[in-house]
Amino acid sequence: MARRPILGLFDNANSAADAGDGLRRAGIPETDVDFLTDTPYPEGAFGEREEPHKLYIFPFIGALLGLTSGILLTSMTQVAYPLVTGGKPILSIPPMAVVCYEGTMLGAILFTVLGIVFESRLPKLKAGLYDNRITEGYIGVLVNTEETQHGEVEGVFGQTGAVDVKKQ
Amino acid sequence: MASSAEHHQGGGHGQHAGMWVFPRREEVTSDVSGKTFAMPSVYKLALGIAAVLAALGVVGFAIRASSDGFGSPGPWGYYAAIFSFVFMVTGAAPLVACAFRFTKSHWRRPLSRVSELFAIVGVVNIVLFIPLLLAMPPIKNPDAQGTDLEVRRTLWFEVPIGAPYTWDLLCFVGLALCSVAILWLSATPDMAQARATATGFRRGLYTALAGWWYGTKRQWNHQKAGLALLGAFYFMLIIFVQFIFITEFAMSMVPFWKDSVLPPMYTVMSFQTSLGLILIVLFIMRKWGGYEGYLGKAPFWSASKILLGLTLLWTYHLFAFFITYWYGRLEVEQNILKYLFTQPYLPLFLANMLFSFLVPFLMLIWNPLRRSAWGPSLAGLSALVGALLFNLRTFAAAFNTGNHYEFALSHVPAAVLPDIWDIFMVLGGLGIVALVYLVSAKVFPLISIWEVKEGTLYQKMDTFVRGEYLVLAKPE
Repeated sequence: MARRPILGLFDNANSAADAGDGLRRAGIPETDVDFLTDTPYPEGAFGEREEPHKLYIFPFIGALLGLTSGILLTSMTQVAYPLVTGGKPILSIPPMAVVCYEGTMLGAILFTVLGIVFESRLPKLKAGLYDNRITEGYIGVLVNTEETQHGEVEGVFGQTGAVDVKKQ
Repeated sequence: MASSAEHHQGGGHGQHAGMWVFPRREEVTSDVSGKTFAMPSVYKLALGIAAVLAALGVVGFAIRASSDGFGSPGPWGYYAAIFSFVFMVTGAAPLVACAFRFTKSHWRRPLSRVSELFAIVGVVNIVLFIPLLLAMPPIKNPDAQGTDLEVRRTLWFEVPIGAPYTWDLLCFVGLALCSVAILWLSATPDMAQARATATGFRRGLYTALAGWWYGTKRQWNHQKAGLALLGAFYFMLIIFVQFIFITEFAMSMVPFWKDSVLPPMYTVMSFQTSLGLILIVLFIMRKWGGYEGYLGKAPFWSASKILLGLTLLWTYHLFAFFITYWYGRLEVEQNILKYLFTQPYLPLFLANMLFSFLVPFLMLIWNPLRRSAWGPSLAGLSALVGALLFNLRTFAAAFNTGNHYEFALSHVPAAVLPDIWDIFMVLGGLGIVALVYLVSAKVFPLISIWEVKEGTLYQKMDTFVRGEYLVLAKPE
């Protein structure tokens, strides 16, 4: 059987949270349930699962690469063109700082943007199940599950006061 | 359709009347989208004026380039001044949204997008910056003789590969990339919500940029983390780019001008003026844009205290800069002081002090003015005029010292007054910023819809004994 999405639409957050509880009691795995909102609700408002992310790793890698490039570029220039400036050593850190810092920042920014694109799994070419009433403050409870379970999900939605139920 | 004000409830009493407004969440998306797509006559007028000014700028630039070329920096002093002003003000503007998002200030919600939208101007800044690179004198003296230096004093020391041109340009590219990413990430939920009602070009753009957004918990978490990371990087990069720019195009151009206070003073002034500009935009939106239902007096009131602090901080830096040279015993220090402050550019310096310090300071120390919408905006306007004068004084002087390879400034050059093409370029710089911003405001909503809606979850007016007060929830 194919997994298909089913969307329950609620006109208040309490009913949506009740639907989440009902789905858990019905044995629907938490990973199959998503709450669609028009604004970020505080953590745990719907009793939903935690959503950890690994975005911070990307700028860290980018910054390291940028810093390494900056150090290599400046030190190689200093060694290739050994000019004594102000009586300082040929290989000295302060004059390298500007390029190293710029390289670090550019690497971090570029990789953060790439990280956002990667973590959001972009580009997404196929439109998902949605209802425009969510932009007016309605809460969508989206369940990606086997079609055989759709009847049970619809039942939970009905019991908890869904104003509409949509399928793809 | 009912007016915007009818859709919203106000809060506060006595001296706090109208301080807070509470838009109705269910109407925010359609109301703000409607305002974004509308073309009122006042907007068309502003667009027309900005376009004319921008056209004057293009004419001035073309004639300057064809008559003087890029061989010498002197003729480009006023171009550098207006570029610096535009960069100073608009470069730091996206930071305002990031900073107050970090501090979780609820009053920042209506100003977030106004601030982030300057990211588009940041892209234009890259294009405007290129002529300055062409006009900058080479680091190596092409005609070294006598006591002149063989290599001009710059921050590039041993001149690493790519310095100065590639690294200078990359600074601006990196800054623009970061600010555009912040704008995209922040505006994605709003574009996603408006994609159903948008038509034509906007519908295609919103679908392309935000078609993937449905508002799941995972997406909100990524957006929050992304905005936090990019905001932090933007702060770290903007102060660096400002340091590079003011050192490269002002200090390095004046022989022996070595001053550690100038870059932080430039940065503080950029914070002061960008906040001032944002307050002016908010005032215009509130007064003539129909956004009074989203903009109470709270953003003006809260920002005014920060504006006052920045005004005092700028003055402290200016004094620190001045006093060091005032007590300097070298002839070059006295010459630089006379050149930039007390002789040829004295009128500009005095006017700069008046508008950057005296006027905003005297306005912002009064509580009733701080609690109004027009008081902080007027103080912001004054700070902008002061900053324009600061940049005209600094860059017209720096680009016209004559011999940039001299060991030290041996004389006090005369002031260089602008010609008609300089005036065109200065007006054009202002016009281009206004034009780009006005056009962008018709693509991206000027109000951060998701943030304003989030605010409605956490704020309400409630009574305590006989008074009515703002109640705030702090989920984090």
